[in-house]
Amino acid sequence: MSFASHPDDAIRLADVRKQFGDTAALAGVSLKAKPGSFVVLLGPSGCGKSTLLRVLAGLEQATSGTIELSGRDVSRLPPAQRGISMVFQSYALFPHLSVAENIVFGLKARGVPAADRAARLKDAAALVGLGHLLERRPSQLSGGQQQRVALARAIVAQAPICLMDEPLSNLDAKLRNEMRREIRALQQRLKLTMVYVTHDQAEAMSMADQVVLMRDGHVEQDASPAELYARPATRFAATFIGTPPMSLVRLTAGEGGAVLEGAPGHVLAPAQAAGQWLGVRPEEIVLSDAEGLPAGIAGAEFLGGETVLSCVIGTGTQVLQVRVPGLCALPVGTPVRLRLPQTLHLFDDATGRRIEDFPSNLASPFSSKDNATCR
Amino acid sequence: MSTTAPEAVAGARKNLAGLLVVPATLFVAIGLIGPLAILFRYSLNKFVPGQFMVDGLVIENYVKFFTDTYYLNVLVRTVRVAVICTLACLIMGFPLAYVLARTQSRFKNLLVIAVVLPLFVGNAVRAAGWMTAFGSKGALNASLMAMGLIDQPLEIMFTENAVLIGIVAVNLPFMVLSLQSVIEGIPRQVEEAAFSLGAAPGAMFRRVLWPLALPGVLAGTILTFILAMNAYATPVLLGGPKFQMMGPLVYGQFAQQNNWPFGGAISFILMTATILLTAVAHLIVQGRYRNR
Ligand SMILES: Nc1ncnc2c1ncn2[C@@H]1O[C@H](COP(=O)(O)OP(=O)(O)O)[C@@H](O)[C@H]1O
Ligand SMILES: [Mg+2]
Repeated sequence: MSFASHPDDAIRLADVRKQFGDTAALAGVSLKAKPGSFVVLLGPSGCGKSTLLRVLAGLEQATSGTIELSGRDVSRLPPAQRGISMVFQSYALFPHLSVAENIVFGLKARGVPAADRAARLKDAAALVGLGHLLERRPSQLSGGQQQRVALARAIVAQAPICLMDEPLSNLDAKLRNEMRREIRALQQRLKLTMVYVTHDQAEAMSMADQVVLMRDGHVEQDASPAELYARPATRFAATFIGTPPMSLVRLTAGEGGAVLEGAPGHVLAPAQAAGQWLGVRPEEIVLSDAEGLPAGIAGAEFLGGETVLSCVIGTGTQVLQVRVPGLCALPVGTPVRLRLPQTLHLFDDATGRRIEDFPSNLASPFSSKDNATCR
Repeated sequence: MSTTAPEAVAGARKNLAGLLVVPATLFVAIGLIGPLAILFRYSLNKFVPGQFMVDGLVIENYVKFFTDTYYLNVLVRTVRVAVICTLACLIMGFPLAYVLARTQSRFKNLLVIAVVLPLFVGNAVRAAGWMTAFGSKGALNASLMAMGLIDQPLEIMFTENAVLIGIVAVNLPFMVLSLQSVIEGIPRQVEEAAFSLGAAPGAMFRRVLWPLALPGVLAGTILTFILAMNAYATPVLLGGPKFQMMGPLVYGQFAQQNNWPFGGAISFILMTATILLTAVAHLIVQGRYRNR
């Protein structure tokens, strides 16, 4: 792979590896990000998100690979010289300094004149709504206010790239939603290139321009939220995104094509797809009175605005989840029919990768228009 | 439910807590305050050779100390030794404590034990060991002279330096442990935040690590300073008869001269000097910390 320097990329990683003794925390990560874009590093706990962010920041030295920020190779530079600012999961505020001193800490360290410091402090504090708390110590602030101090401290540096490691994970759900919007708005207003770490796929989907889905130290898929949702590249990506995530069921050989175990009459894919995995988004399945895959209710989870039904296919054991609007209190064992959508996803059993040339016309053998009503 | 029940529980708790501090309080009262009060009373008595102690209410013992340059020199020397030892402990102890606090090593517990290990050997035993190693007829001088590297034995023993090294060796573990426990409570992310905000290592130390470690610095310096001011075995064994410090001076007055009033006065001067210097240093550090 050739990675020539492109000044139009804000971030460019080429085959970055990080070894901790025997564990490869990063097993060859390459990615690019455009200036002003909001990049989310997403993945389960322990997949290397924090390590990647720390390697970007220079807090951890990569074992190998190159890191370019704004067209400059910073692989060997200390954190202070990388033109980045960082927000830590624990906020890492200086407990012995006031809010104001916390915010201007970096400006002082970089020798910004006092008058300039005062002006920028005022701007940053106003931007995050902290103007009235400047004399307090961090211990006298609520979690949300501490979060804002950490934000202000990062943005006041006016570094072109801002790194955040699960900055909202210590806040309650309501505040988290509020801060998500604020961070996104701030990033757009200041035209920052943001690298934001989270393990929450909903957070990633709602904030990102670009989602970098990671698993076991490598990039599983690097795409826009829409692309990640519509065309997951692997089974892992498919089951990581969505609330609830995509259901995966194994296709078996049947008469006339690949079918699901327990529902032999319903050909879902060409014969060669037998043995591979079929993915269906729960929100795209429709309950039908008359036609579709025969199934039985195995459980229902009421979420307020909608209900997630677990449906066992035919006489088999495989389960598809179905998301229906409103309350749908069907008792366990109720027979239903599932109308599958046009867009089905097929994944290779051996490699887990998406099978691209999947003829989607075969995927929707049910054309009935009648929608079942849920009582 | 009425609100009296929890209050009764709280009251019982308070009583229990009161009871629990009684033994320590009694111990301190009987073991420290009583003897100190008696000692102070003695220091105001008169000493008449041959008559041991004559009841009185005079300050002549204190006057004697502060008008005799010999005793003043002992006090100055003691303070100098204590200050140098405390600073040396701080300078050597801080990096060691930092490494101990931050290490991810599996052998961390062993490292901590290694730091404390010197304390398992008593001061006197250690000093005696050094005498055999570094004395004019000791192992070091004997081998150097046998090799023909020196004609005269090196004077290591019975110098101020020997005492300084001896006291530092005894006090260093106290400094390291005081600092380590505080540094361990400082999150690593706070240091990393300072770096990511553009602070060089020196600036990070000055503006983040040092102020946050200050409680440990204070505890460690107070501890080592008090220990050094009151050192006894090390100055006696490594300093020799001509190197007087306050601790041995007090003992000499009680045990050899039988001059209890003057011994009492010296004790109080030593104690007051220790407390005053500790308090002054404390205030200076805190003041600087506040103003930054
Ligand atoms: N300082 C370290 N020493 C040893 N192993 C580490 C260190 N930091 C991270 N790791 C390991 O690297 C892997 C990735 O960790 P991390 O980047 O923190 O994951 P994430 O942030 O995605 O939860 C984990 O297996 C973790 O145990
Ligand atoms: Mg992490």
